[in-house]
Amino acid sequence: MAPSRGLLRLRQLSAASCRYGSIASGRRAASSFAQHLTNPSAKLQSYISRSRDPFLNLSIEDYVLRHSPPDSVVLFLYTNRPCVVIGRNQNPWLEVNLGILKVAPEQGSSFSNPELPAIGDVDLVRRRSGGGAVFHDEGNVNWSITCPRADFTRDKHAEMVVRALRRLGIERARVNERHDIVLDQGHERRTSDPSDTHRTAYTGDEGAQPRPLKVSGSAYKLTRGRALHHATTLLASPNLHIIPQYLHAPAKKFIEAKGVESVSSPVGNIGLENDIFQQRLQEEFATMYGARDTPPVVRTVGEAELDIPEIRKGYEELRTKEWLLSQTPQFRLKVDKSDLDGWSHELNVLLDINIHHGVIKSVDYSDFLYGTDREAQIRFALVGKKLQDIGDWHDFFRGREGTEALAECLTRWLPIPDTPGA
Amino acid sequence: MKSVVSREAGRLLSRQSITNRASFSACRHFKSHSIPRQQPRRQFHNSPSLNIVKPYLLADIGEGITECQVIQWFVKPGARVEQFDPICEVQSDKASVEITSRFDGVIKKLYYEADDMAKVGKPLVDIDIQSEISAADEALLSGGAEKQAATESTQTPEPKDEGLEVERNDTKAIAEDAAPPVTPQEHPPEPTEQETKPQRQLGKHATLATPAVRHMVKEYKLNIEDIDGTGKDGRVTKEDVQKHAGSAKQASTAVPASPSQPAPTPVQPVEDHIKQLTPVQAGMFKLMTRSLSIPHFLYTDSVDFTAMNTLRKKFNAHKGTSQRLTPLPFIVKAASLSLQQYPLLNAHLDTSTNADKPQLLVKGQHHIGIAMDSPSGLLVPVVKNVQSHSIESLAAEISRLSQLARDGKLSSADMTGATFTLSNIGSIGGGAVAPVISSPQVAIVGIGKAKAVPAFGENGELVRKEECIFSWSADHRVIDGAMAARCAEAVRHYLENIESMLVRLR
Repeated sequence: MAPSRGLLRLRQLSAASCRYGSIASGRRAASSFAQHLTNPSAKLQSYISRSRDPFLNLSIEDYVLRHSPPDSVVLFLYTNRPCVVIGRNQNPWLEVNLGILKVAPEQGSSFSNPELPAIGDVDLVRRRSGGGAVFHDEGNVNWSITCPRADFTRDKHAEMVVRALRRLGIERARVNERHDIVLDQGHERRTSDPSDTHRTAYTGDEGAQPRPLKVSGSAYKLTRGRALHHATTLLASPNLHIIPQYLHAPAKKFIEAKGVESVSSPVGNIGLENDIFQQRLQEEFATMYGARDTPPVVRTVGEAELDIPEIRKGYEELRTKEWLLSQTPQFRLKVDKSDLDGWSHELNVLLDINIHHGVIKSVDYSDFLYGTDREAQIRFALVGKKLQDIGDWHDFFRGREGTEALAECLTRWLPIPDTPGA
Repeated sequence: MKSVVSREAGRLLSRQSITNRASFSACRHFKSHSIPRQQPRRQFHNSPSLNIVKPYLLADIGEGITECQVIQWFVKPGARVEQFDPICEVQSDKASVEITSRFDGVIKKLYYEADDMAKVGKPLVDIDIQSEISAADEALLSGGAEKQAATESTQTPEPKDEGLEVERNDTKAIAEDAAPPVTPQEHPPEPTEQETKPQRQLGKHATLATPAVRHMVKEYKLNIEDIDGTGKDGRVTKEDVQKHAGSAKQASTAVPASPSQPAPTPVQPVEDHIKQLTPVQAGMFKLMTRSLSIPHFLYTDSVDFTAMNTLRKKFNAHKGTSQRLTPLPFIVKAASLSLQQYPLLNAHLDTSTNADKPQLLVKGQHHIGIAMDSPSGLLVPVVKNVQSHSIESLAAEISRLSQLARDGKLSSADMTGATFTLSNIGSIGGGAVAPVISSPQVAIVGIGKAKAVPAFGENGELVRKEECIFSWSADHRVIDGAMAARCAEAVRHYLENIESMLVRLR
């Protein structure tokens, strides 16, 4: 046994024993999770994660989707460290400002921003469900419900969460037509049926009122017999004002892409503490499924679950460059000098790149200094390469004369982010 | 020699008539005439010539979604799959869905590449099936009667939404507009513009600019005569107006941005924002754009509900809420009975089979689409075979479909195949409305809100009537006013004299 593994086990042991006062080895805890989850008589289950690792939490969630009994309903709550999570089929260069995710600016880049938001490193994560790009941090609680596909509707569990919120005094919360949870911002108070989770006393007419603030966004994944509905809940994020910076990509107007685009909405905090919300939600879940008096025991999961091979496998997959970058559907980055107002003329370029699933398929290039002289060279260097294999653009083009302008543009618009895995 | 030929013929025949299981036992010329088939149900054999390759359709994923993007294939042609193996993953807005195989078999062909948009109800893969096919599975394979690749599916994969425009500005505008052809988007601002603009200007400058440009001129408070036209025939274009407005602003003293604003109230200005079309709206957009080619005529009349309501009250007197009858099932049944007398209104207009010879495909069954409002917008589930339904069973079916609509669980089978449509906009409000026909149908009826009105009885005394306005639209390329009027009269007659409906019910 390698010494490092032993240490890990030891840490899990002590962590487990301090927390639960019982000596449960990491391995036993992990297999007990699998045992509990797959137990066919456990129709109603409730879990909460103590890990802040988004990759792990998503992998546990996927495991729940695939291995819970076919007629069971499972609630899973988790909170992530700061990260940007994009949908299964989205384009990170279009949705995310990749250049500011890591605190240390790219080596050799002339583009360094002294005004980087100071929240430290932010992970890029691609989840397995659909939908748009969102920002997670410790002020955001994620909930997921896995239920039989036949019982699934998009509103069902969003309504459950709205009921939980209303019981905690958040009377402006409602489910909107996109199945998200919003807080009405209207000033006029009217009568409204309290049991109607799609209207509040402040709901105005369409378009006439100040726009509601989105506090929860949903996404879904459907497999043969099961449906997963998961969503964010902005309770008390300290980063609201900088979220837009992360979710606005500099290349947005230059990219034409297939795939789902995010629908941006103004967001706001609900103003609750995580523990209180989580507890209320667990109670509401039990009530909804008729187990108010005998609610399911809430079990904690965490890093120990990495011992389960499927979870480990899913975890590793989510961290690979292949998954994060090359799952992007085909897109085209097209820059015309007329788009570049305010830039110095040395950077005037005409750039047209087609990328299919992370592989550069075609390149057209000409710039102010060299015209199309360098185009053939550049094509030779780029076409057929996988974006994920390129680290830093300046390094990539080092030694090739006349490519500084191109390297600069690509660093700005097509930066290759660091990924945790291979 | 002959026996070989007949054997071959038998084999060919068996390959063609795959869907009809009855034919299997009939096809016994497999090894020899004398030895019957051991397993008449099995359609395949070691020899490849007897494999059954069938298109496997992309099943409905609900939510009124008609197409979704293929994200990833898990199989390739030639791959062996077992039942429940994943074939591919697709995504539609927020949901990513794993499509699994219902059969064991071998994948023969993929109909889409990754990133393509796959259509619901259309083939996804071809699969060489090597397992039992149940009746339920038949529906997923092409060749089932419902999934007819006939005019319906090719033109309108899921005609789930029929728009209901309460004010048809198009006909008004065409009558008044002497200017060159206008695109439909510009119509909505028109009616307001026409009212406030002085009549003289309209007549004098009708040829100087399109209505959109005239509206712009009005907005900028300019005089169209002042603007130089650079368009065709000296017409004023939008750019001309903008240029003129730009220079005019500099010259004159600062014109208040909106002089008509009332005394400042602390109202937060609502900013513009882009709203993408929801899937329901996108479907509606496609469908209604097709309907633009239909010349609609409108026929309205008012139907006296008094007799029907009396009967309903009597029926509902001792029933629970779920068993009570609303007027809707009566109206739908009356429509179906009338369509039996005027079958041309229950037809599909086929202009694509033979471009020079359009023809009417008169439909034998009455599949009536009922337009209803749901949380995701306008959906039109179809009640199939209304001619075979009783009023009670119609009520139950309508109620079942509306529950599915509310839950967002209508399947594409529920929303296709309509031969006639009925819009119950009266449940919200409305008098006379001008409904839009959903191609390839040729007629539609919109039901307004039932109101109590005063009327005169037999002896001239004042009586209370409950009246409802029915608005019929029909395709004037194939239906004339007389036929539509007669059908409308038949419906009215049935509803005002319920006993005549009674004696006709089968």
